[in-house]
Amino acid sequence: MNSLVETKRPVATAWSFALRYGLALLSVSAALGSSLAFMDFHLPQPFGAFALSAIALTFWYAGTGPGILSAVLSSLIRDYFFEAGIRAGSRVIYDLVFLVFALLMMRVVRGRLDLEQRVAERTAELTRLNDHLKLEIEKQNQIEAELRLSEAYLAEAQRMSHTGSWAWSPPPGDIRYWSEECFRVQGFDPKDGQPPYEAFFQTIHPDDRAQIAEVIDSAVRNKEDFKFDYRIVLPTGEIRYAQSVGHPSLSPSGDLIEYVGTIIDVTERRQAEEERERLREAHADLAHVSRMTTMGELTASLAHEVNQPITAVVNGASTAVRWLTREEPDIAEAREAALGVVRNAKRAADIISRIRSISKKGESKRQSVDVNELIREMITLLRNEANRYSVAIRTDLDADLPQAMADSVQVQQVMMNLIMNSIDAMKEVDQLRELTITSQRGEGRHLLISASDTGKGLPEHQMDQIFDAFFTTKTHGIGLGLRISRSIIESHGGRLWAANNAPRGAIFYFTLPIPVEARD
Amino acid sequence: MFASERIVSAMSCHKENKLVAIVDDDDSVRVTLQELLRSAGFSSQAFESAEKFLGSGQQLETACLITDIRMPGMSGLELQARLNAERCKIPTIFITAHGDEEMRFRALREGAVEFLSKPFDDEVLVESVRAALER
Repeated sequence: MNSLVETKRPVATAWSFALRYGLALLSVSAALGSSLAFMDFHLPQPFGAFALSAIALTFWYAGTGPGILSAVLSSLIRDYFFEAGIRAGSRVIYDLVFLVFALLMMRVVRGRLDLEQRVAERTAELTRLNDHLKLEIEKQNQIEAELRLSEAYLAEAQRMSHTGSWAWSPPPGDIRYWSEECFRVQGFDPKDGQPPYEAFFQTIHPDDRAQIAEVIDSAVRNKEDFKFDYRIVLPTGEIRYAQSVGHPSLSPSGDLIEYVGTIIDVTERRQAEEERERLREAHADLAHVSRMTTMGELTASLAHEVNQPITAVVNGASTAVRWLTREEPDIAEAREAALGVVRNAKRAADIISRIRSISKKGESKRQSVDVNELIREMITLLRNEANRYSVAIRTDLDADLPQAMADSVQVQQVMMNLIMNSIDAMKEVDQLRELTITSQRGEGRHLLISASDTGKGLPEHQMDQIFDAFFTTKTHGIGLGLRISRSIIESHGGRLWAANNAPRGAIFYFTLPIPVEARD
Repeated sequence: MFASERIVSAMSCHKENKLVAIVDDDDSVRVTLQELLRSAGFSSQAFESAEKFLGSGQQLETACLITDIRMPGMSGLELQARLNAERCKIPTIFITAHGDEEMRFRALREGAVEFLSKPFDDEVLVESVRAALER
């Protein structure tokens, strides 16, 4: 292939050479022929003019070499054919004319070639620039397409997250940028164009305006970020809840240029929170009702529990009076008895306070609690109920039990429910009636608490149904205690489950997470 | 164990020592009752359950028994029945927070000298103890 090209090129050059020099021969021959023809018709001899034309033609089309050849040939032909007889001086003048013409033509041709080269160079330059421009345009188009896509993604993300973005020149400036989502959240029609700041402000609930104006003014004055929650009143009267944050852009010299920020529509989130809050309240109400029902069942036992220290108080006071009213009053003995009164009155107050704390209806409060202490307190309150049915309560509590993060009233409610269930299950059992409560570290970072009894046990095929609402095996129960207990434990991040105890009875377990920061 | 006690009690349940026994599962009631009796000039011994009282053998020396009714394990009424069955009739004063008429009637029928509701009047108790000891 290469050799073909290499052989072709000299061939082409040879052809071009032949054509160019052939043109010289041809044009001069044509000038000669035409002149001879003119003379045959007895016309004045025009060879000079024809020869100059032939020389010009050859220079123009075939270049300098063939041009010079045509000038030399023309000179020779003129000397030979037309002016053989004239003297040498005149011949030289004619030759000079041809020479000058040839030189002139050489210059013209060089000028033309220079021009052609410049044109070619400029053309190449322009072509290069054009290509570059095309590339730039292509790049620009690509960037624009990417930008459009990115904007579409951003608009979609803003729509999904209910977050609009804006830019605003500080007062008395106007809104500079207002994203599509801002229009939707604030209830403006995009067709009406970017809203003026005042129009935005008018959509804010009248009760929120003063506070927001103050927040914005203060932020602008101090060139600081701002953040505020507000309500939007839509033209339909619907209320929307939103939150806006703004961040100042400062010039290098520290002047405030503009604020950029976001508007987030938090209506759905707020409604969900309100719904959750309502559910929490309903759950707390239900738990409270359940607790009060159990407390109602316990009235006799609780009264007895309070009555014991009161009896001790009365005994102590009577004793003190007796020591004081003897013929020889014994102050020391009376004092001892009076101290006992104080001790027992405090104990009565403690019990009442425990009953009150478990009866009260309040918000769930999670705090670090000693589960063993909660178990002991619960046993104190329920001991009499257990005595009433001759149930012995045993405990096996891990002395090194870490604290749990829990609502003590709720956890006690669960314990109360489990203990009451156990007592209920043992009421009609003639054999040993024993309730054993244990606490220990369970698997993972959990405490494991169990309450096992020697009662009638659980229905084998309904082991998990006992936790369903309104499921009960009791004649007097409504079947909410275990359901509520399980939801309380699960809301603490623990589990509550049951199994049958060997050789008889049931065992309930529940776990409570140990907070990360709790010391073991 | 109870069989042998029964024989002993049948032989020697004469209460010459005038000991007052207190049976109550509640520490504070037990201790303050003992103190009250001491201030009235009686010596007493306290037991936290009916089983412990029976196991102590002190019933043979007891001239007056003050007992709670509802206790873990054996109740006060069961204790009374057990003592009666052993022919060891100790004058018994019941103290309870749950006294109803039926219970009161049952206790008095079985020979109780008094049936008091907690908290009780110290004068009534002291008089009842004194009466029991003088029987």
